[in-house]
Amino acid sequence: MSGTWTIYRREVAGLFFSPLAWILLLVALFLNGVFFTFVYLAGAAGDVTLAFDLTLGGSWVFWLFLVLLPPVLAMRMLAEESRTGSLEFLLTAPVTDVAVVLGKFLAATTFLALLWSSVLVYGLAIARAGVDPDWGGVLGGFLGAVLASALFVSICLFASSLTDTPLLAVFFGFVATLGWLMVPVLAGRMMVEARTLLAGLIGDVQGAEEWIRRGVYTMDVVSHAQQSFLRGILDTSELVFFATWTAFFLFLTTRSLEARRWR
Amino acid sequence: MIEVRNLTRRFGPLVAVDGISFELAAGEVVGFLGPNGAGKTTTMRILTGFLPATSAERLLVAGFDVLRRSLDVRRRIGYLPESVPLYGELRVREMMTFQGRLHGLSRSVLRERIPKVLERVGVLDRERQLIGALSRGLRQRVGLAVALLPEPQVLILDEPTSGLDPLQRREVRELIRSLAEEHTVLLSSHILAEVESVCERVIVIHEGRLVADGSRADLEQRLGGRGHVRFEAVVGHDVPGAIALLESLPGVQRVRETGRVGIHHGFDVFGAGDLREDVGALASARGWAVRELSWRRATLEELFARLVLGGERPTPPTEAAPARAPDARTGVALEVAGAAPPLGTPSSKPVVYSLNPFDRGATRDLGKPMRLHGEEAAREEAPRE
Repeated sequence: MSGTWTIYRREVAGLFFSPLAWILLLVALFLNGVFFTFVYLAGAAGDVTLAFDLTLGGSWVFWLFLVLLPPVLAMRMLAEESRTGSLEFLLTAPVTDVAVVLGKFLAATTFLALLWSSVLVYGLAIARAGVDPDWGGVLGGFLGAVLASALFVSICLFASSLTDTPLLAVFFGFVATLGWLMVPVLAGRMMVEARTLLAGLIGDVQGAEEWIRRGVYTMDVVSHAQQSFLRGILDTSELVFFATWTAFFLFLTTRSLEARRWR
Repeated sequence: MIEVRNLTRRFGPLVAVDGISFELAAGEVVGFLGPNGAGKTTTMRILTGFLPATSAERLLVAGFDVLRRSLDVRRRIGYLPESVPLYGELRVREMMTFQGRLHGLSRSVLRERIPKVLERVGVLDRERQLIGALSRGLRQRVGLAVALLPEPQVLILDEPTSGLDPLQRREVRELIRSLAEEHTVLLSSHILAEVESVCERVIVIHEGRLVADGSRADLEQRLGGRGHVRFEAVVGHDVPGAIALLESLPGVQRVRETGRVGIHHGFDVFGAGDLREDVGALASARGWAVRELSWRRATLEELFARLVLGGERPTPPTEAAPARAPDARTGVALEVAGAAPPLGTPSSKPVVYSLNPFDRGATRDLGKPMRLHGEEAAREEAPRE
């Protein structure tokens, strides 16, 4: 796995050699800071823990970042490399496809982890100001944010592997992450609409609804991220949820890389 | 080093490579020739493991099966794709280090080897420059350096000189020639002069099929394009007569008129071997003013055109060609009916022609001095021959 490490290092270097990473970081840090200071802290009326909850997964702004940033990060990693031909260099180097994908995945996740680590700095600042935040919640929230970022990066890497047009890769990634987030919302909405229809078709509406709800829950990132991490609880089932989906999309990405050779 | 048997690759309905077979022994430098879209790049990508083959009986590189032992193959090849993919945001040295790490070279090996390789391709002074800021020629060399760094057994270079200026092209060619001592090299090109100057052996493919494989001499032999005598002279107005005379020389199979430049007529004389002496003797016997008499080797380009376009194939030499004119060494005594005066006797009429290519065959007596423009109008032209 030394290949993964080599590629990871190059990808991180490549990210920070380009202006893109700095611009993303600047804008995201600025917005995040503004929201934390002027919206969350002010809105929470002194409840610091709530403010941290909102920053690390409790508000739509957090999820908006996760919809917007990973596609842009992932775009350069496969789609653009395939376009410039450097993917040909990587795929003929003595490293496995898995190492290539893992290296790139870890690099993008590191970037987002760096972004979220700014929240830890907020925590230190507030602790210095005299109010100790709920450190368990903050650290747990940070971990949750990183795991959610990893999942979204893996989805976007898969999207990026499907095309060699960077813009299209961004679009695919955007649609995929947004769709992934919207699944529970849409499913809930549809269940309300379809209740009467279901009642006519099958007798056991309750059972069917329960079945659908459980199915939808296995994809529901928002609830999984909010449920335990923000309370400072490390629930292994939540870890497994994120690890499984991330691994699934990374698997799809390597397969898609392989498939591109056959096309 | 490379063994390919019955390699086929399809892209949907398109057959890019169609049942190609060839072998490269260790230390060979082989040119892979073909027009654009012939399947060169596809074949090379298959050899490097970037693309899988649709089917192949045997596909070995450096002794390993490309599909099953892909990583072993990749450790032993240096591949320079046509687009020279390098990370523009890295410096030359960083790119080299990256390649070294991918190949698992240790830090001490890299510290020692990177300057050596950069020196060899002549970019040592650019070590700290961003790759994105390099010119095309320098990028090409850095690409070559990257491919050479792990000291691969097999080098696969896809159009290594495309996009370079003639000077850079020559340098890269020399570099490749010097590499031949240590590596087995397969390089592709559609520029034939290049392959001609670098490679001992040429593999020609066209529309995915292998049309020729062999040394230059083999190709020439197979195609019968051994070369011809180029002859340009003033033969007067009786061009068919001159052609008949040339054809009557012993050993001449075919004479092709290549048209006329000013007062000179050009001929390509095809035949067995170098017939310059015979043609020269004939010219002096006939008093033809010769402008060019030279031996033209068939260029690879011509061979290639003949292969690819299925152009003219000269008929195999017929030994029993009736010798109508004697050999040059025994003296040319021309017996063609009435046309030529016997050897040695100066022709009765003075040789008359114009040196000005623009006056379309106007003639002038060589014995008299050139007329000036004013006089020209007054005195009328000397009689034509």
